[in-house]
Amino acid sequence: MADFYQNDLIITLHRLGNPGLERIESELMEFTRQRPVALVLPALVTEFEGEAIKGIVAELKKVRYLREIILSLGRANDKEFQYVREFMSQLPCEVKVIHNEGKRIKEIYATLERNNVWPGEDGKGRSAWISYGYVIANAQSDVIALHDCDIVTYNRGMLARLCYPVANPNIDVVFCKGFYSRITDKMHGRVTRLLITPLIRALQKIVGPNPFLMFLDSFRYPLAGEFAMITDMARTNRIPWDWGLEVGVLSEVFRNYSTRRVCQVDIADNYEHKHQLLSADDAQKGLMRMSVDICKSIFRFLAAEGIVLSDSFFKSLQVAYIRLAEDTMVKYEADAAINGLKFDRHAEASAAEAFSNAIKIAADSYSENPMAAPLIPNWNRVTSAIPGILDMLKKAVDEDNR
Amino acid sequence: MENFMELLLQPLRDFGITILQFVPNLLAMLIIFIAGFLFSRLIKLFFLRIFRIINFDSWCDKAGLTAIIRKGDIWSKPSDVFGSIIYGFLIILFLVIGLSALRLPTIDNLITQFFLYIPRAFSALVILIAGYVFAGFISRAVLITAVNSGYHYAKILAEAVRLLLIVLILAMSLEQLQIAPGIVIAAFSIVFGGIILALAIAFGIGGIDAARRIINSGESERPEQPKQPKQNDEKKNDKEREAEYL
Repeated sequence: MADFYQNDLIITLHRLGNPGLERIESELMEFTRQRPVALVLPALVTEFEGEAIKGIVAELKKVRYLREIILSLGRANDKEFQYVREFMSQLPCEVKVIHNEGKRIKEIYATLERNNVWPGEDGKGRSAWISYGYVIANAQSDVIALHDCDIVTYNRGMLARLCYPVANPNIDVVFCKGFYSRITDKMHGRVTRLLITPLIRALQKIVGPNPFLMFLDSFRYPLAGEFAMITDMARTNRIPWDWGLEVGVLSEVFRNYSTRRVCQVDIADNYEHKHQLLSADDAQKGLMRMSVDICKSIFRFLAAEGIVLSDSFFKSLQVAYIRLAEDTMVKYEADAAINGLKFDRHAEASAAEAFSNAIKIAADSYSENPMAAPLIPNWNRVTSAIPGILDMLKKAVDEDNR
Repeated sequence: MENFMELLLQPLRDFGITILQFVPNLLAMLIIFIAGFLFSRLIKLFFLRIFRIINFDSWCDKAGLTAIIRKGDIWSKPSDVFGSIIYGFLIILFLVIGLSALRLPTIDNLITQFFLYIPRAFSALVILIAGYVFAGFISRAVLITAVNSGYHYAKILAEAVRLLLIVLILAMSLEQLQIAPGIVIAAFSIVFGGIILALAIAFGIGGIDAARRIINSGESERPEQPKQPKQNDEKKNDKEREAEYL
């Protein structure tokens, strides 16, 4: 990124000049003596068949400042779990693989359910949440960093830049989110470009100045899956188990911490990962499902802030959204033109129409049941309900990795 | 010749009679085993149902009993674990009753010892469970008190108290089970006494400065006022004495 613009709510850390990875890493070696860092990697077993994870592990082999890596493995049988353990054992730091389908972790989930602590459905949210629980139980790390395992363009500089603001004791930051552009021969990131930003701005038009909407709008890539935070945050923040994970995490950060202690950092010039289909006709799949869950998450948070969301509100919202999405498309078309990128205006307009439909589905769903929040309780509440749960979780993970 | 044949056949006849006398006992034993097995299963199912009704698993989770079970790398539901323990106990009981049907003196002796041991095992189990819950309660109380008092090592202190209580409870259970009672009592006395002595020494050495401060402050805070009049009185007396002398 070539600018150094700061918005007035959160800190933006740009990539200026030549920051030097070696310098950042050597500083991180010092900082992490005081604030050890745990890296959480939510992954599906199918991701170990691809090339992305090999690249990530090859890069992580060169990282020396991590105290521990916790890989939360989903949809794997015992044999696949053992394979992943062996694969991850090449890393230089302590690695623990959480076997979410194993009998021990399943029993942990069953223990939670019978005590009315709903750990949510299988997915990235629950994987991240259980990993945070292990980090808290292990009591080794003060900082948690998280990124996906399907990043094709991964390099260790991403992780270093992500960890730096939270690990550095001289920067008073509790939460740091990554941002980047997503381009190949065209622009990607349709949900962020054509849904989130126009939707937030449409909401601001209707609701007026709102701190939460301004906070969301401050993020250059609010749906980025890469972030770092202090471990205490994992105790106090609830996590959505549905596709509204990223927005839900930001909502909890906004609710529990001062925005002055939140930052976003430029972690990569370009970012490429697995693309999802739009599935415009099926709201249960692909980007449509993600869009519906994100919209519901935003609506619920606004309602919790005391904003009345009526039928007429949603009707106005849809109209305002479409207008802003069209305006946004024009901006991106010009941006694509100057950068020599392909721009399919029809595909973009179709996506915006699908997202408009997603807003309607989310609004209907919210109106039907405004209280249906897909949030996993925070670890403070969980330990209050079941005092020995962290010990049990630690035992389960340690035994699985023995 | 007849005598010789008698000599040969008599043991066989005796053996046959013994077998004939033994077979009903054996059959009785087998029937008791089978009935005991079925009865134990029924009782297990009954208890599992009761456990479900009273929400026993959830109670175990909250009381910390599940955490103890998990420490032993057992990942079944607490109700299943306790159901299996009851089942196992009943199976052993019926095994013993079945064996007693054989009417063998050695086994009878063992059975008597077994039944005499049951109350001890039961009380040891009660001590263990109640003790663990009590240790958890005390440890938590210490933790809350220490945290509220602003003590930096509150968690370590609470864990130390918990460890001490668990050592005490284990010693009590082993003593109740009569497993090498002399050694257990001696080992417990040494370990517990050692810990207390270590704590006393640590407190003594660590508290030298604090004790000195307390003593010094006690001395400095001692009321000087009553002394003053005395001194004045003494001075007065001296002056009076001087005047008298003059």
